[in-house]
Amino acid sequence: MALLALLGRSTDPAAKTLPSSAPLRLGAALALTGNANVYGQDQRMGIGLARQWFKAKPQTRPVQLQLEDGASDESSAIAAFNLLIRRGVVALIGPTLSQQAFAADPIAQRQGVPVVAPSNTASGIPQIGSFISRVSAQSSVIAPLSIDEALRRDPSTERVAVFFAQDDAYSTAETAIFQKALAARKLKPVSVQRTQLADNDFQNPITAALQQRPQLVVISAQAVDGGNLIRQLRELGYRGQIVVGNGLNTPNIYPICQRWCDGVLIAQAYSPELNTPINRTFRRVFAEANKGRIPGQIAAQAWSAYQVLFEAIQRLQARGGLDGVTLGEARKHLMQELLAGHYDTPLGPIHFRSDGEVVQERFYVAEVRMDASGRSGQFTLVREQDLPEGGP
Amino acid sequence: MTEALLQTLLNGAASGGVYALVALGYTLIFSVLGVINFAQGALFSLGGYLTYLFMGGNIGVNGALPGWGLPVGLPFLLALVLAALGTGLVGLVVERIAFAPLRRRGAEPLLSLITSLGAGVVLVNLLQILMGAEGYAFPHGAAALGQLPESLLIGGARIRTIQVLLLLISALAVAALSLWLERSRSGKAMRAVAEDATTATLLGINSEAIVRLAFLLSGMLAGLGGGLIGMSVSLAGPYFGISYGLKGLAVLVLGGLGSVPGAIVGGLVMGMAEALIPPSASGWRDALAFAILFAVLVLRPSGLLGRRQLEKV
Repeated sequence: MALLALLGRSTDPAAKTLPSSAPLRLGAALALTGNANVYGQDQRMGIGLARQWFKAKPQTRPVQLQLEDGASDESSAIAAFNLLIRRGVVALIGPTLSQQAFAADPIAQRQGVPVVAPSNTASGIPQIGSFISRVSAQSSVIAPLSIDEALRRDPSTERVAVFFAQDDAYSTAETAIFQKALAARKLKPVSVQRTQLADNDFQNPITAALQQRPQLVVISAQAVDGGNLIRQLRELGYRGQIVVGNGLNTPNIYPICQRWCDGVLIAQAYSPELNTPINRTFRRVFAEANKGRIPGQIAAQAWSAYQVLFEAIQRLQARGGLDGVTLGEARKHLMQELLAGHYDTPLGPIHFRSDGEVVQERFYVAEVRMDASGRSGQFTLVREQDLPEGGP
Repeated sequence: MTEALLQTLLNGAASGGVYALVALGYTLIFSVLGVINFAQGALFSLGGYLTYLFMGGNIGVNGALPGWGLPVGLPFLLALVLAALGTGLVGLVVERIAFAPLRRRGAEPLLSLITSLGAGVVLVNLLQILMGAEGYAFPHGAAALGQLPESLLIGGARIRTIQVLLLLISALAVAALSLWLERSRSGKAMRAVAEDATTATLLGINSEAIVRLAFLLSGMLAGLGGGLIGMSVSLAGPYFGISYGLKGLAVLVLGGLGSVPGAIVGGLVMGMAEALIPPSASGWRDALAFAILFAVLVLRPSGLLGRRQLEKV
């Protein structure tokens, strides 16, 4: 028994003392393949740019990044987390989807590895455990803002149709938030249509919903299925307002719904128009790397996830918190340092609650405006809103 | 009430037509070799991407050659035909790599399921490397179809124009294939090989050439389906063909393994079954479709129009 314990201890990287000046390894498990890859690719871009940018800045402790494909399902995210933890990373960024986080985060929690989620917005993510945090504000805080904007534009709205991807934990959680927000505004959906992430053809649910003559359509889905849904809604003659959730919060919807994306309303935790030095820098380096493209929220949050970990490591190193400690202790110290810090990110100033939930005060409502070719567009800021901590 | 019924019928026919097209690809290969080509879904994806490129679409930022595209964009129908041909040729390559070596060694037919699955996975991953993982919609969208309206109102039921076109092209392809199988010399040769390859060879039919022809045609059908679906609902990443491939497989079994009319009837039954699902249960569409498949197979194991397999002793 003692021998087994000894063997276990000798192979566990957490038990080993950290070399004093060797680079610390950060792991990122992102959806680079599968349905969610449209987010994962943007996240890779955001994290990669942050790594380059901060590498060039003065630093007390160098940081290395190890990237693993967490694909778009739970088992791949778990495998990627396990692999990175075994390689001795000091903290993890990811996974891409909330649904994956509910499966993979407990692995990191059990092994005491800090996790910063760049894009998990479902309720209950930081509450998985004391090592789990996120830079992505939960959808319950921001989603209702877009409903308010739609109702401000058309106060006569009475008939609302709701669509959501029922096989996606995030979309089902988000539609509950949307429907609660609608109920609070005395609007009962005239049609609730369930779809699936892998759906391409929405003829059936759309024609069923349009028979109820909705004035507003609210969609909780991911980028590809949601983009298709918008396009087919318009092609089948729907001309009313469309509000979408965070899953469609990416420029990757432009090539899918093209000119039919025009006018879609979305509440966001990031605006490219935020005029701060760090956001101007982020916009510039992103545009340089992407032929002038304007970054979206997913890339901005990924940059921010890397940034908060990088800055927490530098602070911890500067005050000796990483000297002579094991990797396991370093992970614990890093989590404490992460939660204690204040960060000026492309999202604006953020900090964390003690349970790892991000505190961000300013949110945005944007409208998609497509260019004349219908091939490209941008999220145009239509409204800014400061929310007190704890949401509306 | 009539409008709702008509809407359901139109919805069912539109999806069923595509399912039939995919299932026919499987059917051709199954009928001559008695195996299933699991790379069919990947070929479906390839057909979509090729049509996109032939129409002048550019590779996205995550692809191997960001921004690259052909200097000229072809009209949709021409691009579709070329893409179907290109996919058919890749189907031939799949046959050479995943099926022919096993056939030469007299290996268990079951093994080709794995090799074809492997070929499909490689193909999808190559697509991801070359084209990136992002979704693509065809240049100009439905405008590429000319001055056609985006949707049509037929007897009070509304359907997108592209879906009507999709149904017509699918029906045309199926009719042409059936006619070719029934009337042409090579079509009859294929039917003979499907009946009994050894006897067909003894009768002077080049069975190997017929197998290759089956893979070419099967690949072309997959390419045609991928291009049509791409135009209808865009390309949702390199994996988008896989789900259609799975549905086609279910239709193949539902209609009866190796039966051309079965593939058509199976596709339409599957499409109608999905369309009949009430809105409140629309998310359970796939589950219900497969439950129907299960029920049909329990009652009639050979499928709707399949022949009972006689055991040769």
